Amino acid sequence: MKASVMVLFVGLAAPLIGAEPPRFEADVLPVLYRHCFSCHSEKQAKPKGDLRLDSAAGIADAGVVVAGKPDLSELMQRVSLPPTHEDAMPPLKGGAQPLSEAERATLRAWIVAGAKMDGWVKFEHRDAPLPEPGAAVARAAAPEIARQVDALIERHHAAKGTRLNAPVGDEGFLRRVYLDVVGRIPSLEESNRFLASPREGRRARLIDELLSSEGYVSHTYNWKADQLRLNPRLLAAGQPGWLYDDWVKHAVRSGLAHDEIVRQLITASGYLWENGAAGFYLRDLGMPLDHASNLSRIFLGTRMECAQCHDNPLEPVTQKDFLQMAAFTAGVSNLSSPSGYSNDNVKQWPQLKALLEGMGEDKALQDGVSRAIAPLKRLTRDTDKPLTFPATYAYDESARGQPVSPRTLFGDEAPIVDGDRRRAFAEWLTSPRNPRFAKNAANRLWKRVTGAGLIEPVDSLTALPPPEHRELLDTLTSALIGFRFDERAFLAALLNTRLYQSEAVRDRPEPGTPFALHGPLLRRLSAEQIWDSHLVLLVPELDQRKAALRHEGSNLNPARLRRLTDMPAEQIISRARDEMAYRARRRDFTLRLTEQKKEITAAQARGDAAAVRQLQADHARENDNFFSPELLALEMGGAEPVPETDPRWKSLPRDFLRASEIPLPLPLGHFLRQFGQSDRREIDAFNRDPNTTHALALMNGALAARILAPDSHLRRQLAAAGGSRDRMTSLIYRALLVRAPTDGELATLATLTASSLTPEDDTIWALLNSPEFLFQD
Amino acid sequence: MKPIMTDLSRRAFVERFVKTFLGVSLLSGPRALRAAGAPPRARAKSVIFLYLRGGLSHIDTFDPKPGRPEMGGVSAIGTSADGVQVSEWFPRMARQMHHVSLVRSMTSTQGIHELGAYSAHTSHFMTPTIRHPALGSWAVKLLGSENRLLPGNVLINGSPQHPGSGYFPAHLAPLPIVDPGAGLQNSTRAAAVSEADFNRRAALARAIGSHFVQQTPHRDAAAYLTIQQEAAALMKSEDLKVFDIAREDARTQAAYGSHTFGKGCLLARRLVEAGVRFVEVEDDQNWDTHNDQIKAMRLMTPSADQTMAALLEDLHQRGLLARTLVVMATEFGRTPQISTVTAGRGHHPGVFTWWLAGGGVKGGYVHGKSDAIGETVAEHPVTMPDLNATVALALGIDVGHIEHSPSGRPFTVADKGQPVTALFS
Repeated sequence: MKASVMVLFVGLAAPLIGAEPPRFEADVLPVLYRHCFSCHSEKQAKPKGDLRLDSAAGIADAGVVVAGKPDLSELMQRVSLPPTHEDAMPPLKGGAQPLSEAERATLRAWIVAGAKMDGWVKFEHRDAPLPEPGAAVARAAAPEIARQVDALIERHHAAKGTRLNAPVGDEGFLRRVYLDVVGRIPSLEESNRFLASPREGRRARLIDELLSSEGYVSHTYNWKADQLRLNPRLLAAGQPGWLYDDWVKHAVRSGLAHDEIVRQLITASGYLWENGAAGFYLRDLGMPLDHASNLSRIFLGTRMECAQCHDNPLEPVTQKDFLQMAAFTAGVSNLSSPSGYSNDNVKQWPQLKALLEGMGEDKALQDGVSRAIAPLKRLTRDTDKPLTFPATYAYDESARGQPVSPRTLFGDEAPIVDGDRRRAFAEWLTSPRNPRFAKNAANRLWKRVTGAGLIEPVDSLTALPPPEHRELLDTLTSALIGFRFDERAFLAALLNTRLYQSEAVRDRPEPGTPFALHGPLLRRLSAEQIWDSHLVLLVPELDQRKAALRHEGSNLNPARLRRLTDMPAEQIISRARDEMAYRARRRDFTLRLTEQKKEITAAQARGDAAAVRQLQADHARENDNFFSPELLALEMGGAEPVPETDPRWKSLPRDFLRASEIPLPLPLGHFLRQFGQSDRREIDAFNRDPNTTHALALMNGALAARILAPDSHLRRQLAAAGGSRDRMTSLIYRALLVRAPTDGELATLATLTASSLTPEDDTIWALLNSPEFLFQD
Repeated sequence: MKPIMTDLSRRAFVERFVKTFLGVSLLSGPRALRAAGAPPRARAKSVIFLYLRGGLSHIDTFDPKPGRPEMGGVSAIGTSADGVQVSEWFPRMARQMHHVSLVRSMTSTQGIHELGAYSAHTSHFMTPTIRHPALGSWAVKLLGSENRLLPGNVLINGSPQHPGSGYFPAHLAPLPIVDPGAGLQNSTRAAAVSEADFNRRAALARAIGSHFVQQTPHRDAAAYLTIQQEAAALMKSEDLKVFDIAREDARTQAAYGSHTFGKGCLLARRLVEAGVRFVEVEDDQNWDTHNDQIKAMRLMTPSADQTMAALLEDLHQRGLLARTLVVMATEFGRTPQISTVTAGRGHHPGVFTWWLAGGGVKGGYVHGKSDAIGETVAEHPVTMPDLNATVALALGIDVGHIEHSPSGRPFTVADKGQPVTALFS
């Protein structure tokens, strides 16, 4: 059976006939890394079959490769067996993946050519730290960095015999840079202003202007929120979860550098109203391991979640590696220890307890106090609780239940910072010497403006980086470090490159192929970009409009919580009594409301209009008197919708805001959800695939109807501009597609709307429903 | 889209299936030979795929371990199927168990939500280089749908990360219904727009859009143009009222329940009644019970129990159960041990339970077994590909049929999973 299968397989696998034999480090090592090192490397305490393939000596000792004779090489034989065969390698049972045909061909060709190692000695599992950073570079150096990137890309094309796409025109650039930097199309005024400005240097000026705008904060917030999974409802219950959202927005607005943001998140302690960054931990209540793998994905571009439960079958990353990384943060109170919610977190608790005991058995009061201090019980802080090896740990039974000592996976060892684990971890993580921190950030920012990472997926950084674009990514990484993680400066450099300012690649690259560097990739807009681009047509000065404060008069108002945090015990008890009285009163009030309704209904049924008016007036007075000013000052109410007072937006619904201002979770069926906004349960869980419901929403939905309404912002702008039919058409094109209509389009419009009474509506509707509106190119 | 199979073509298909299947089994050893047997008749015309997001605890639901401390004091109850018990949280499902085949030996290696959910839907591991189609897209790709106007593949309350049509064209992606109570959103013209206006504007949008699409080979650009035409056709269709669950009598609506999952399952029944091939309904509750297992089950099981039992009963009463295969799936089970810290259960892909009902599967049947505490598979392990292959086969899909991704990679439905033919009656 075995022999016949072998024959069959050799017959099937077409050997790769290339001019050059594969090179070990560039071509063969990645195959071994992906398929063999998980079980056969120094990472395992006992490598399977006592076989180590991660060193030249190991391979030689094992005798699994016979130079020149692939059919006699056991390595080749075993990886060529059908995956269901019991001797097949790698074994699929553990989750490994069989070699692809191309990989087998590479291995075979390498053995045929003599299995040369070219001086390779062993694989270094810990990627080396980067050198100490050079001097800091000012933001003004962005154009200079852009020139360096241009030169590298030019060299790439010269070597490949390819080239950049043609330079993008001003209108194309304008729409693109607005979408990338501020996350929406430009308004009609913004387009007009740019296109009328002096040509010399206007693109660079616009880039700087947009990077300093409030729109940048909005779009960057969405981008980070998808990574951080920001959704106030998913934070610990009974906490003002939106303060974490606010913290992130504030960090972006104030220009906090990326490394500083990450340091503050990792080391966050205290209450949300003292430090919004504490939301980083409250978001992952009871999930220390998921928390660790998520932070490794978004800050280090490294996926470790496989190793949460077992050694990763696809990479030499062990469960122990993972646990050691997780051990830095796992002790935080709300992650793995119930002490995150406790009376002991309330600093007045000893006095409170004594006072309550002195008052005898008063269950109602005890409950009242407990409720009054409930928000204070949830505190983010360090605990001594160590992470322990799980009871099912399969690789060393004696370790089960033992504490895990924290250790970093790559680069430097973590510094020792007075026993403060999280600070040590944050220092290591955000250090410019960390081989993956800056690289991950640079690759993600590159993706943000070009549509794809130089390494894809962006969270697939490993100890063995792909050979493509290594120099370019290294240059970008140094640039980001030079800018000291100032994301705006780095983006300014990217946006000033010739690549960014070239025509877009309009086809979808084959998944798995490296970025071809012809230009940015055409892509569908995100749900947020589509929503925000509609709202530009509806809301003047859109970026300035903010959500109503969510905590006005609420018991989670941060000012109230800050007062509570420092309130003396006696005062807390009296406050608890007030709150109890409030609740009793509120109950009566609710009952009275029902009665009032009945009284009015009865009067209506009698047809006694005078009595109805009388009752309404009585009730209004009664209700006004119901709450004393003292009770209102307790701020116990839920969030009340605050009416819009700003004259610019008075006639608009309260939720016509940038997507970043609309609190999650959104109701089912909201436009943003329909177009695939992430629900933020997982990292970057958005979806941009076309769906019939999108066409329905664009054709029949409320936004389109609003835009077409005669008094909409767009219609008022058009009316103010006035002019011929062709001028109207041109303005509509500029407002919606940020370009002029072609002659062919003008002719099509004229023909198809010849008998129409509403040609302007037709044009607006048609452009909103053209795929062009939904794509960025 | 392929036309509907006639009886003749189905017979021809079964013959082809035998050939392919035996061919495969000769090559790939004893496992396939065991599973081959006589292929069952394809009895299911439609599938309702119930997805319980978050990882449903098997011990607290359909694989109870009566008397074990792992149950945390919860007991098991008898059911309408002899010798089959379920947890006390499912009294209404207990009365439907004579329709149900429980598969208590499901096993997977994916303990992360998104990876497990991806495998449950596509039978593949998630990899960075390709996105695989979910089972519903396979079904409409290979079988079409009985109703030509309605989309053949519908996803009710699905999560945004649903793999959709994967590398298949976008028109095979499920039509998402976000709020089953509201039916198909935006499917009627705005009041101010006359039919003539609408048609003129749609023609204009198409003309302008096709300029863009001509210079844009990206497949999603063209898809938006196609979708627009489909949407316009759908708007004019009589079948649209299928989406309106308010047309059901009050008693039926009450039986399913007024929560999203209840409304979704009622809509699913209306859709399969109208000939839709594949409907997935995701529960709106999150079964990721890391904290306080017992309390979470107390809160969440009543509505799930009500809805799933109502669905089976309703399908049965209407004579639809014989041709509708109902599948309940989740990404993994949960640890037998209740955490002493959080009083919840962790992720546990080692063993868990899915179930099937109707569509030609046995009722009152249990396939496979977990061990005494529900930690590992004790008997007849079944993987997600195996189970999905079973569903495909029940629909009459040729599980050996090869489709190529755009890059030329060959794939079969359910990734070479071995159908569990023991489940067929």
